[in-house]
Amino acid sequence: MVLVVDDNPADITLLREGLAESARNSRVVSVSDGEQALAFLRRDGIYGNEDRPDLVIMDLNMPNKDGRAVLAEVKSDPALRSIPIVIFTSSLYGADIARSYQLGANCYVRKPGDLKGFVLAARSIEDFWLGQVSLPDQGE
Amino acid sequence: MGSVEVCNLKADNVSVGKQEKKLHLLLLEEGSRGEDPVVWEMDFDRLSLPGRPTSGAERLPSWLAAREICPCGPRRFAESEVLKKAEALARSNRELEQFAYVTSHDLQEPLRMVAAYSQLLAERYRGQLDEKADTYLSFLTEGALRMEGLIQDLLSLSRVDSVKAPATNVDGNAVFADVLKNLAAAIGESGALINCGTLPMLPVHRSHLAQLLQNLIANAIKFRQQKPPVVSVQAERTGPQWLFSVSDNGIGIPKEHVQMIFGVFRRLHGRSAYPGNGIGLAVCKKIAEHYGGSIWVESDAGGGSSFKFTLPAEGVPTD
Repeated sequence: MVLVVDDNPADITLLREGLAESARNSRVVSVSDGEQALAFLRRDGIYGNEDRPDLVIMDLNMPNKDGRAVLAEVKSDPALRSIPIVIFTSSLYGADIARSYQLGANCYVRKPGDLKGFVLAARSIEDFWLGQVSLPDQGE
Repeated sequence: MGSVEVCNLKADNVSVGKQEKKLHLLLLEEGSRGEDPVVWEMDFDRLSLPGRPTSGAERLPSWLAAREICPCGPRRFAESEVLKKAEALARSNRELEQFAYVTSHDLQEPLRMVAAYSQLLAERYRGQLDEKADTYLSFLTEGALRMEGLIQDLLSLSRVDSVKAPATNVDGNAVFADVLKNLAAAIGESGALINCGTLPMLPVHRSHLAQLLQNLIANAIKFRQQKPPVVSVQAERTGPQWLFSVSDNGIGIPKEHVQMIFGVFRRLHGRSAYPGNGIGLAVCKKIAEHYGGSIWVESDAGGGSSFKFTLPAEGVPTD
């Protein structure tokens, strides 16, 4: 299951479109800000019955706790820090890239400007993190 | 023998060098209409030393050659209009560049939406609406993609000056080898032959040298005649600089346009004749000027072109 964290519904739709065509059939859940993301990962409140995501794809600039704040909290929490978080953003500021990795992002991908490129990026992220790499078993 | 004191120069005649440690004064003969200005370069930090003309001494006009330039003492200079104007200009340049960079960067997001969704729309509904709608969708997608390309180009242009000084010298030959790899497809498809003399080590950013060489060689290949393009890259030491040349046997550039082609988004040919947004040479110019060098072309229509640019041979690698 992939958790997408992005305040732009247009980007969430694009990501869903991109992933829908892959053979992986990943379940995609989306939330629109950092606070919701943290609540989801901690299984707080309305997210009490949710599974732990295998992968988080997250934008940087969002209201109510941005990607940097979520990274800082998740990657310093022993219960959550092993969840791979891919920062997926249109920012190409060197400072954003550096900071994301410093805060423990597993990788940083710039959102391509064209449809083909975007879909390719989404699929590559999915293929790599859910196909190529080995992930820890849930609960480890 | 009269002398010209720097502090008394009119504050209009000031420009600030790209690296902002250099003060460039445009010296005009009093009463002249501005022909033949001499650009006089001084270091901000060493105001007590005489400056020097950036053009070779043999090109000094007679009214200046006969005079001595006396920089006044540092205190008077610091209070002078000239320095104030220079600092204001430097600040303004920095702000403009930041503005261009931030604007281009932030424009990407909404443009991305337009580009991606017009493409999605075109894909999903092509053939399902009437012919007119299909045509409209094509124009929409094309326009959106072009906007996106322009923004990317503007971004590369505005990022040229934002790099820190390079820490080590870069090996020109290694950069050239990389550029050839990047252009492998274009070289293969055009049957291009790229010759290269020995290139030096020089104190510039690897990515800057790469962009310069790649843009010029790619242009040489693109703007070819019927026969396969032959491109020759050389570097020769001229005093404190390296003079690079990238020469080709392509379509050439009419003499009246040799300046204009370095402008941003300036193209000589229609989009259907040759692809591209017209930013490659503007980026080359910005890079050369970033290091205090310059770029120009020797060419005529139908006779091939020789693009030349200068870069520093000696620099002070920092950190």
